Order: sequence, then C-alpha cells, then structure tokens
Amino acid sequence: MPVNHSHTNANALEVRGVGKRFGGFWAVQGIDLTVRPGERRAILGPNGAGKTSLFNVLTGDTSATTGSITLFGDSVTRKPINKRIQRGLRRTYQHAHLFNGLTVRDTLFLAVAGVRGGWLQVLPLRASDERMTEAERLAEIAGVTDVLDRETSELSHGQRRQLEIGIALAENPKVLLLDEPAAGLSPAERPKLSALLMSLPKDVTVVLIEHDMDIALQTSESVSVLYNGRMLAEGSPDEIMRNEEVHRVYIGGAHGH
Amino acid sequence: MKQALILIPLLALPLVLNDFWLTQVATRSLILGVMALSLSFLATYLGVVSFAQATMAGIAGYTIAYFGPNTVGVGTPLPFWVTIPMALIFATLSGALVGLIARRSRGIYAIMITLAIGVAFFYFTRQNYTLFNGWTGFSGVRAPEVAGVSLRNPLLLYLLSLSTAGIALALVSGFVRSPLGLTIQAVRDAPGRVLALGISVTTPIVAAFAFSGLLAGAGGILNVWYQERISSFSVGLGPIIDILIISVIGGLRHPGGAFVGAVVFVLLDTFAVDLIDRERFNTLIGVVLLLIVIVAPGGLQQLAQDWAARLRSPQAKPKQASEHS
Repeated sequence: MPVNHSHTNANALEVRGVGKRFGGFWAVQGIDLTVRPGERRAILGPNGAGKTSLFNVLTGDTSATTGSITLFGDSVTRKPINKRIQRGLRRTYQHAHLFNGLTVRDTLFLAVAGVRGGWLQVLPLRASDERMTEAERLAEIAGVTDVLDRETSELSHGQRRQLEIGIALAENPKVLLLDEPAAGLSPAERPKLSALLMSLPKDVTVVLIEHDMDIALQTSESVSVLYNGRMLAEGSPDEIMRNEEVHRVYIGGAHGH
Repeated sequence: MKQALILIPLLALPLVLNDFWLTQVATRSLILGVMALSLSFLATYLGVVSFAQATMAGIAGYTIAYFGPNTVGVGTPLPFWVTIPMALIFATLSGALVGLIARRSRGIYAIMITLAIGVAFFYFTRQNYTLFNGWTGFSGVRAPEVAGVSLRNPLLLYLLSLSTAGIALALVSGFVRSPLGLTIQAVRDAPGRVLALGISVTTPIVAAFAFSGLLAGAGGILNVWYQERISSFSVGLGPIIDILIISVIGGLRHPGGAFVGAVVFVLLDTFAVDLIDRERFNTLIGVVLLLIVIVAPGGLQQLAQDWAARLRSPQAKPKQASEHS
C-alpha cells in the first residue's frame, strides 16, 4: 500500500518514554530511541535486558504501557500490527514460528498478501498472480529459491532464518527490525546471512538485535545498549566499546560466563 | 485430475447394484461422506475438531422440511429453487456463527464448545414447536420433482449424491489453494505469526467454519430427502458421534478419507445385524474405531496410501526382505 510521507525529514523511528509492564514487572521502562532514515542501529544487551520486549512494543505484538512511538512522523502507538506493516515496518522473530504445513512459496505469498491485501480471496491462486511473482522475488533475495516448493517444516535452521528475512522484506519495508537473525546458525551458515544483511537496500532503516558483539559492531553505525529494561548507553561502536559502564554490565559479564 | 478417474466406476455402479445396495449403501455412504467431509476439512486445514457439524447439516435439513412439502402441517412451502439455496445459506451462516463462538478455542476446548452448541440445538429442536415441531419433527418430507420424476428415485438420488460429493471434494481442493485457504492453514500452524503478517485470525477461522457449514448443509439437504423426515434425533448425540467416527475411520488428514470412512461405517451399520446382534452395533463400531486408532492413526485413507506407496517403490521390498534374512 502506498504511504504518503508528508514528513520527509522525520525520523524513521522515534520512541519517547516507552515502557511495558507485565503485572508488577517492567520489561522495559522509559526508553527513548531515535533512528534516522537509512540508519543501521544495533541494540545490545544481556539476556533479559528487554530487547525483544522493546521490539514487540514497536511492532504492536504487544501494546506499550507508557510512551509514544512514531514512524516517519506518524504516531503508531495505538495502531494495530497491520497498520504499522502498511506504514513500512517489518520484523523477524528470534524463534521462527513458521507455517509448518505450508511451502516456502505459500509462506512468502502470505507475507505479501499481508501487506498488499487480498488474502480473503476464495478462488484458487493462479501461478501468474502478481503477488506470487513478488513471493518468488523475495525467495531469490533470501536465497531460498531452491526450496521454494518444500514445506517449511523440512527446512534447515539456516534456511528458516533466511525465510524469516524473506518474509520481513515483503513489499519493500522502510524499517526492518531484526531479532537476532544469526542466532543458532552454524559457522558455515553465518557468512551467508551476513552477506544477506549487508545486501539490504541502503535506504532501508535497520534495527538489529544481536548477541554477537563483533557482528553487531561491524554491521552498525550506531549502538544502543539496554540493561535491565533501561537504556544504558548510546553512541557509535567506538564510543560503546570505550564506555566503562557497558563494559561492566555487558562485555565484562559476557567474559564472566 | 487423477482423482477424477474414480468417477468412472462410481458412475457405472448403478448398472451392477440393485436398489437396496444403491440406496442403502452407496447413496447413504455418499451423504454421510459429505457431512463427514465438513469435519475432515476443519480438522485437516484449520486443525479444529468440531462436534457441531450435525447441527449445521440439521439446520439445512430443517430448512428444507419447513419450507417444503411435509405431512405435519408446519411451515410455509416454497419452490425448491428457493429452499435449496436458502438451506445452504442458513447452514453456512450457522457455521460462521459456530466459528465466531469457538474462534478462540483449540483442542479439547473447541470440542467442548462445539459439543455444547450441538447439544443445545438438539434440546432446542425438541422444545420448539413453531419452527422445529418439537421432538416429533417433520415427516413426509418430499424431494423435489424434476420433469415428473422425484429426486428420491434411487438412481437420481444416487447420481445427485455422487455429484454433490464430487463437487464438495473439488470445492475443498480448490478452496485450500486459494489465498483464504492458505491463510486458514497458516492459522492452523501459527496463529500468532498470521497476526504478525498483518492478517486477521478471526476472519479465516470464521470463514473455515462457514465453509464447513456449507459442506455440512449440502449433506443435510441430501439426508433429509433420503430419510424423508427430520427430527431432534437427526441432530442429537448419535449423528454427532457418527460423523466423528466416520471422519476418524477414514482419516482426518485427507478430505477424501471421509468417504472411505462413510463406506466402512455404512457397511458395518447395514450388515452388523447379520454378523452379530443388532444391539451390538456400538460394540462393533467401537472395536473398529479402536483398531483404527491403534493400527492406523491416519485412518484408512492414510493406510491405503502407505500401502500404495510401498507397492509403487519396488526397492522397498527387497530391502525389507534383506532385513529379515
């Protein structure tokens, strides 16, 4: 769906004072985050820091308890998932829940139909359907063309991660939230995924949760560090590397394992 | 298209069967098969077992009885080209309503909620006289006549049931390849992920139930013409369980299984009296069901497919033989 960006100078993503409470527990609290269009931002933080909770609030998987979220100048704080998707926001999931009974082709088709609409059609799908052509294009970008007609339950872990990214790329996203895209990949599979991430169009804004410090610092221009649900530090990879507090809670902690 | 080849022997069946076999076995199997198909569809593609399919079939049957010729003097007769679409629409709407009520339920909870709907409808038909004529229901329901010949004629009813079954199967296989059909299967596999794609979950669930209502309704119309009557017993626990048994015997993983299950069920039901005491039919069908669940959890359809696959691949045999030697 075409989106009219009246605020061309607006930030891709602007988060002000966002918090998410589960019962008496604040998963994230008082988060401020500004991401410029086309920026590559990494979000770091130890387990339980609230990274995925923050993503869930940004995409609308769960609603924010406090704060506001703006996408290219439009407030989406109270908007449902599908409205945010139509504004160009996409995400991948850390734990890929894919449609095990569907083929890669049909999964990508649904990803396209989710954005473009028309999933209510009851007539059998034709091979010439434009959305199917788009699905095949996504498969090519994600590198899953050779398994296009396999059921997703038969895919390897690496192929599932690639498919995740293919789904998120449906219909030219503007802001891409990637939740640990390389998690659980074998050393052989990692370069393929890194190459895929590097090949993303430059105008796409990418926010990346990554456990692997090296990948995160290599692929990103700026880094935000979450700790105990709060924003601990923000800056360039160099600044973050030099930040003593970050070293203490995260980098130091990682070495302590 | 290979499946369509099975139509040829089925079309020739009336040439070799007498009226008893044609009506009591073949036609009845097809009618029960269409009703069970409505359940197999839901179980296979939405992953929900519904006990309300007899209710949806019953709503279509009652519509035909109420708005058609009957001998109890209840209802308003309308021409059959009005009542048939009306019955299908009511059955579809009832399916949608059941789906709307059960949309958040899965597994045992979906079973309980649909069972509650089915049983509630059963008691409602017993107590309501203006629409359902109480527990006696409607008798003397006549199938429409085309060119002076009643559709209840054994040959015509068989051909009508056969084409309905064929159309129902074709509809199912087409529907599951449609965008909505794919969405329904996606909801079965990961409803949360469907939401994350920006697609509603409620609509596909309600649509799947509505479609199953349409199928059940088609079976219900044929059934009321076949039985020539309908009453609360047609929507009670008996038929509810029969439909479930047929689907499980045939296999819930493939829509065609419903008809395999129906043939086995009808043969047992018809000839149990010759094998064992009439009263022991439930024991017999229970034992068969138990055997299926233990030996072939995928149902007879799956069992036949496995055997066919084994026969087709000759390598499998020597391999097995060498394993044994």
